[in-house]
Amino acid sequence: MNPRNVRGLIGWIRRVFFGDPARRFAWVSLLLTLSLAVAPTKDFFRQWRHYQRQYFKFVESRPDATALRGRMVSGIHQIWLPDLGVVDRCTTCHLGIAEPSLADASVPEPFRAHPPIPHDAEKWGCVVCHRGQGSATEVAAAHETTVAWEQPILPIHFIQASCGTCHRDDLPQAPQLDRGRQLLARFDCTGCHKIAGIDRPAMLGPDLTDIGTKVSREWLYKWLKEPRTITDANGNVTVDGVDFGEPQMPTFRLSDPELRELSAYLSTRSAHPIQPYHFDPRIVASLSKRPDVADQGEARFRQMFCSTCHSLAVTRAGETSLIGGDIGPELTKIGSKVNPDWLAAWLRNPQQYLPHSQMPRYEWSDADLYEVTRYMETKLTDPDLLADVPKLGSPTKSDIEAGRRLFVDKGCASCHVTEGLSPQEDFGPDLSAIGARNISQLDFGPAKVQPTLIAYLKSKISNPLSVNPSGRMPQYHMDAESLDAVTAALLSLTGPPATRGMEKLIVARQKPEFHPAGEFGKLYERYKCYACHKFNGFGGTLAPDLSYEGSRAMRQWLIQFMENPQTLRPTLVLRMPQFNMPESDAAVFADYFETAMQSPAVDATLDRKEFTPAMAAAGKQLYEKKYQCQACHTIGSAGGYVGPSLGNAGNWLTPGWIEAWLHNPQALVPGTIEPRQAFTADEIQALTAYLLTLKQSGPATGAAAASSARGTK
Amino acid sequence: MRAGALLFSTALGFAILAGCAHKSAPVKIDPLQNAYGSEPDWNDAQRIIPLSYEAAQGKQIFYEQCVWCHADQTPAGPSNRSNVTPAPPLWNDGATLNSLSDAFLEKFTAQGGSAMGKSAMMPPYGQTLTPEEIRAVVAYARAIAVPAPQVPSRPGQK
Repeated sequence: MNPRNVRGLIGWIRRVFFGDPARRFAWVSLLLTLSLAVAPTKDFFRQWRHYQRQYFKFVESRPDATALRGRMVSGIHQIWLPDLGVVDRCTTCHLGIAEPSLADASVPEPFRAHPPIPHDAEKWGCVVCHRGQGSATEVAAAHETTVAWEQPILPIHFIQASCGTCHRDDLPQAPQLDRGRQLLARFDCTGCHKIAGIDRPAMLGPDLTDIGTKVSREWLYKWLKEPRTITDANGNVTVDGVDFGEPQMPTFRLSDPELRELSAYLSTRSAHPIQPYHFDPRIVASLSKRPDVADQGEARFRQMFCSTCHSLAVTRAGETSLIGGDIGPELTKIGSKVNPDWLAAWLRNPQQYLPHSQMPRYEWSDADLYEVTRYMETKLTDPDLLADVPKLGSPTKSDIEAGRRLFVDKGCASCHVTEGLSPQEDFGPDLSAIGARNISQLDFGPAKVQPTLIAYLKSKISNPLSVNPSGRMPQYHMDAESLDAVTAALLSLTGPPATRGMEKLIVARQKPEFHPAGEFGKLYERYKCYACHKFNGFGGTLAPDLSYEGSRAMRQWLIQFMENPQTLRPTLVLRMPQFNMPESDAAVFADYFETAMQSPAVDATLDRKEFTPAMAAAGKQLYEKKYQCQACHTIGSAGGYVGPSLGNAGNWLTPGWIEAWLHNPQALVPGTIEPRQAFTADEIQALTAYLLTLKQSGPATGAAAASSARGTK
Repeated sequence: MRAGALLFSTALGFAILAGCAHKSAPVKIDPLQNAYGSEPDWNDAQRIIPLSYEAAQGKQIFYEQCVWCHADQTPAGPSNRSNVTPAPPLWNDGATLNSLSDAFLEKFTAQGGSAMGKSAMMPPYGQTLTPEEIRAVVAYARAIAVPAPQVPSRPGQK
């Protein structure tokens, strides 16, 4: 463009726009009008207006269009809750969240109704649970991490984390959160980290003060290298997963010199030498010659239901799995692990070696103890277990000293007591507010993951080295579902509540304790009843809640059951162990249950004489024909095994309990799976009469069966 | 003519402005992160099915109440299915359940088999579970059904 043309153009603009005052005025007015129109136009194209127009169009396609349109309010919506610090405009775009007719999965977001939850959006707002920036009116600003607002919304998959921010107690409606919290406790995360709401147990890992009397230096070397015993020929862990009794100890990445030093230190920990137990020489003489002594021991091991707490690896069709419970450690290769003298002493009195052990103190006869220890020492072994351990010899003084330093440096002292020193707390970072951490506060290191808190937590737990190659955190093994659960539990830890209003909402953690005094209390501690059973809200969940046992079971039945527990549920793998309890102990339990463990809903005065044979005959008809209870319950050998066997119901259950149970099972045992039926009063009476007639002959049946199965005499 | 060009360019400017407002495309994330829960396909453990809120609630109830007779594997190990005659349908059995309406399945669960002229071995759950819970269990069946239901099961769903 040459200068003449430019001058020509300027001249043209002057003539056209500013030729005379009227033109000047007209054009300037037009420009002014247009520039004034910018703001309303921009406003017209705002993202939320776009969604509101779409919603308006979408509503037209619904059958209840008129009602939906009537309830729609255009403009910016805001939920303002000063108490909670909530200023939420989410409902500006999420227009259908309170419309029940828009609950279908086919309704496009952001218009779908909120699933029914106990908290109403009007009262709670949205970001209290969903996080994100509530006051934003654009999708990216509200949902994602931005320069001005780092907390993104929580993916729906982890939404239960938000329940845990206020509900510090167990919450059955949030199973992922509950499981995550259980895993945080199970993996002893509180050993190194401060985690609000997770209790620090009296004993995290076993006390190692006397570990040198229990295992050899070689075994310690092997264990410290990879704390798994069930491995294939290449040393790969073949059984994995926290639900199968696998060890709680994580893998520490220790070098060969470190393994030598630590094993040297630990193998010299033996403050209290073992007093070997002297079996009755006559029993040893008669049993030791028998070729099948280990087989007898195995039968006894099974009869006593050691497998309720301890698992054994079983390989079927090339696949190895652990069979048994996870309360105690897995025992597949215990014979190659422990010193035989230690084993006998341990079985006789576990609390002498580990005062905090959950293992009950069994009543052993010398013959049983001899057979069971022979079984464990000879059959539960693996000759190749220590094959790849180098020759270690006796520990040198410098190794022991270096091992002692390592024990502290590596954080072993966080979970294990040794030399009477208490575990050191706060070895790892405080996690009380990890769930509210901003992305800019996280160091992802070399990890190649999405820049989110969730991805950070998941890689930190599943592979700590990927985030911090020089970190001290050990390696945990867990499946994807467990990893998600632990992540959700960590996300729920958002530190102290932000406002006074939030503080008031917190549902504190209940810590019920039940440690009765007296004769019952002593036996309760001895047999560790609470490891499996619940008493007044305290105890384990593996076995039935015994808070109302006195109302449920007949006294004589209770005594016989505790002396020789028979199964009520034939398919259960995990059954009550046989404690070899003397009758006097069983009577103490029965007396206590009868006096203290009563349900107010059960009529204890109901007499079985009130039930006539005619009623029982009618009840049999109802049981077999009308209600077909045999779908779930067995009598004799016929029936299903969802519910307990009722073949001995007449000896087992009290009439008052049966009536109350048939009337409303959930009132007696909340959460029981027996469905509540609409029985009439007559039907309840007839069914009770029938069940009371069901008796297995002879109180000694169980004991006789057990001793004949034992087959030693 | 020239004024027309000017107006056109102004309009273009506004169009660009308006376009800017829609430029942020939604971020693609893992579908499971957007699901309330998940369940592996019973016939193919590799296929993970994302569950809606309702189906996830149903899964929880199913594994407490129903799994004992309506699945071949239960949390306790063996299934009670073989002890019940006639054998109850597996809960993912689309071939059987897809042809039954939600209303029928909900009524059947609430009132039990005998009230519907079927086996009394199916007890009524109407006094144990709430109508919402029963609906959730049915929603769970629809989510895991093999083959998947073809027609939308809810009335009014389009």
